[in-house]
Amino acid sequence: MRQAKLNLVPHRWRTSPPNILQSLLAVQAHLGYVPTDVAPEMARALQVTEADVAGVLSFYPDLHLRQAGRHRVRVCVGESCVANHGSRVLTALAEELRIGLGATTPDKRFTLERVYCVGNCAVSPTVVIDDQVHGRVTPSDIPTLLSPYK
Amino acid sequence: MTTRLYISNDTSARAARADRLAEAWEGDARVELVRTSSRGAFFLEPLVEREGPEGRLAWPLARREDLTRILAGEGGVAIGKIPFLAQQHRITFADFGQAAPLSLADFRAHGGWSGLHRALSLDPQEIIDELNISRLRGRGGAAFPVWRKWQVAKDQPSGVKYVVANADEGDAGTYCDRMIMEGEPFRLIEGMLICGRAIGADLGYVYCRHEYPTAFHTIREAVALAQAAGMLDQDGRHFQLDIVQGAGSYVCGEETALLESLEGRRGEVRAKPPYPAIAGLNCRPTIVSNVLTFATVPSILAKGGEWYAAHGTETSRGTVVLQLGGRVKQPGLVEIPFGATLEEVLHRFGGGMAPGARFKAIQVGGPLGSLFSESHLGIRLCYEAFADAGAILGHGGIVVYDEETDMVELARHYMAFVADESCGKCTPCRIGSVRGREILERIQTGQGRAGDLVLLRDLGETMKATSLCALGGRAPYPVLTAIEQFPNEFRKK
Ligand SMILES: Cc1cc2nc3c(=O)[nH]c(=O)nc-3n(C[C@H](O)[C@H](O)[C@H](O)COP(=O)(O)O)c2cc1C
Ligand code: FES
Repeated sequence: MRQAKLNLVPHRWRTSPPNILQSLLAVQAHLGYVPTDVAPEMARALQVTEADVAGVLSFYPDLHLRQAGRHRVRVCVGESCVANHGSRVLTALAEELRIGLGATTPDKRFTLERVYCVGNCAVSPTVVIDDQVHGRVTPSDIPTLLSPYK
Repeated sequence: MTTRLYISNDTSARAARADRLAEAWEGDARVELVRTSSRGAFFLEPLVEREGPEGRLAWPLARREDLTRILAGEGGVAIGKIPFLAQQHRITFADFGQAAPLSLADFRAHGGWSGLHRALSLDPQEIIDELNISRLRGRGGAAFPVWRKWQVAKDQPSGVKYVVANADEGDAGTYCDRMIMEGEPFRLIEGMLICGRAIGADLGYVYCRHEYPTAFHTIREAVALAQAAGMLDQDGRHFQLDIVQGAGSYVCGEETALLESLEGRRGEVRAKPPYPAIAGLNCRPTIVSNVLTFATVPSILAKGGEWYAAHGTETSRGTVVLQLGGRVKQPGLVEIPFGATLEEVLHRFGGGMAPGARFKAIQVGGPLGSLFSESHLGIRLCYEAFADAGAILGHGGIVVYDEETDMVELARHYMAFVADESCGKCTPCRIGSVRGREILERIQTGQGRAGDLVLLRDLGETMKATSLCALGGRAPYPVLTAIEQFPNEFRKK
């Protein structure tokens, strides 16, 4: 199992010096997050220090240290969505899911997060569920929006 | 008989439910569906088109039940009669909305690769001279003359050099790079190939933000197709182009932080000089340019630098690509020659405010840009007028706020963003943004102190003068312009 994780890193990133960010992204692409025990293991395999790996891991918001729910719900807090009162959508989502930002529902169905603009500004406010972008979302859309995601 | 219908496959068209139409009509024997790029008139999406007697006919805000009408040809408007589109002067986005993004045949049919062909008939210096004549400036934010950067990289001794497309598009309210990568990815590749030839580089990267998965997959697929068609081999040289994903950091759009990130490290800003054109990726000469900049180059080569320079104003040549968002009636992409006023754009293209909304302020240039109140809308959209006003056009993002907007909260939002995104390398940005946010939070909760606005101004001046990059250097602008133009809201609290 341990070894398997590092086998997820393609050879093109195991150069000298190696590409730590892309190695971590490769692990995340398969597991959905970067488990804590990856850092020391990766450091050894790539011949860098553990601090090097931890430093990269902590710098990038999209490297996730914890496993999310089955579906990631991201509400845009970029300015076009803010201008279109996206905060009301965020409030409605938090109420519907009964969780705050960064939290996962007890049934592990949804994790609620924010995102800073996905380039859907002309069709805002924006909610992204997994990789699906939803535009012109109003608070009353929320139940229908969530229902297909089990 | 089947009728060919065109529906955009752009992320925002899909977010406006274009996919629902496509799914509903896919199996219909009367219909042949083509998924295209988007025209950028997003307020009309989902927009369905078909061929008409004189060009395309369009059905804006189409619904499933409109199919019968569309097939009967009832009620469509000629694309050329839609004022939002008809009043634009498009160069880079001229063909958007017409073709299938990954069709090499479509790209060629619309004049694709003609800039590259012209470049292949020129020697590297002549390519750079053509850009000099065009007076093209970078579209990523800093507006540096493109030819000058290319010249520096070309003049470095030959050896490994790189061409890097900055596809981090971090400014909220901007989406033109996303549209290019999703809609005409071969155009970006063409621009990068021309750059490679000009500076003598055989290696290229597109650094694409993590928030753009569709753009990432489309450009990657496009590279594979271009390679299979032999387009990456020109004049006996192979250009190797890789697409790499970022991981959600705004500062990684700054060119030196981007290079650090591309090398796999923390995205911390490097001190300049040396500039990337001399020592960039892996310390080799590197051109880092914005996606829109690269995508503009092919037209300049194909039609000539003089032709391009004939558009726009004295120091802002060519077209400006604006992206309207927020509370306007008609959000979408607008490409026009530099020089129109903000007010003209707001009314002629934006169509005024969204129903029921009243204008309060407008932000131009993303989180590092400036806020403008109603009395400042006469400003002309060109580099010189914005420089005179101490503002920036940035990447062309325009966000309109309505009267319900709380300016103190908005100022706090901008400062909190910078505090979150600071790379931490220099103190003025790292500490200053947190201090700024704290002061604004204090004002917001009614705990403001007598000297707070003066303190914010002093803090802002320090950040402007001493930050390592424009993240700290320009972070104070939205806050200070908000205070300047809406002083009562800050004093009231
Ligand atoms: C904090 C910060 C963020 C930036 N983000 C971007 C970006 O997302 N995309 C971009 O093209 N340029 C961005 N830039 C500008 C780049 O540093 C650089 O000037 C640009 O990529 C050069 O390309 P150009 O000459 O085509 O404009 C940013 C600059 C700063 C200071
Ligand atoms: S600001 Fe929300 S998608 Fe751009």
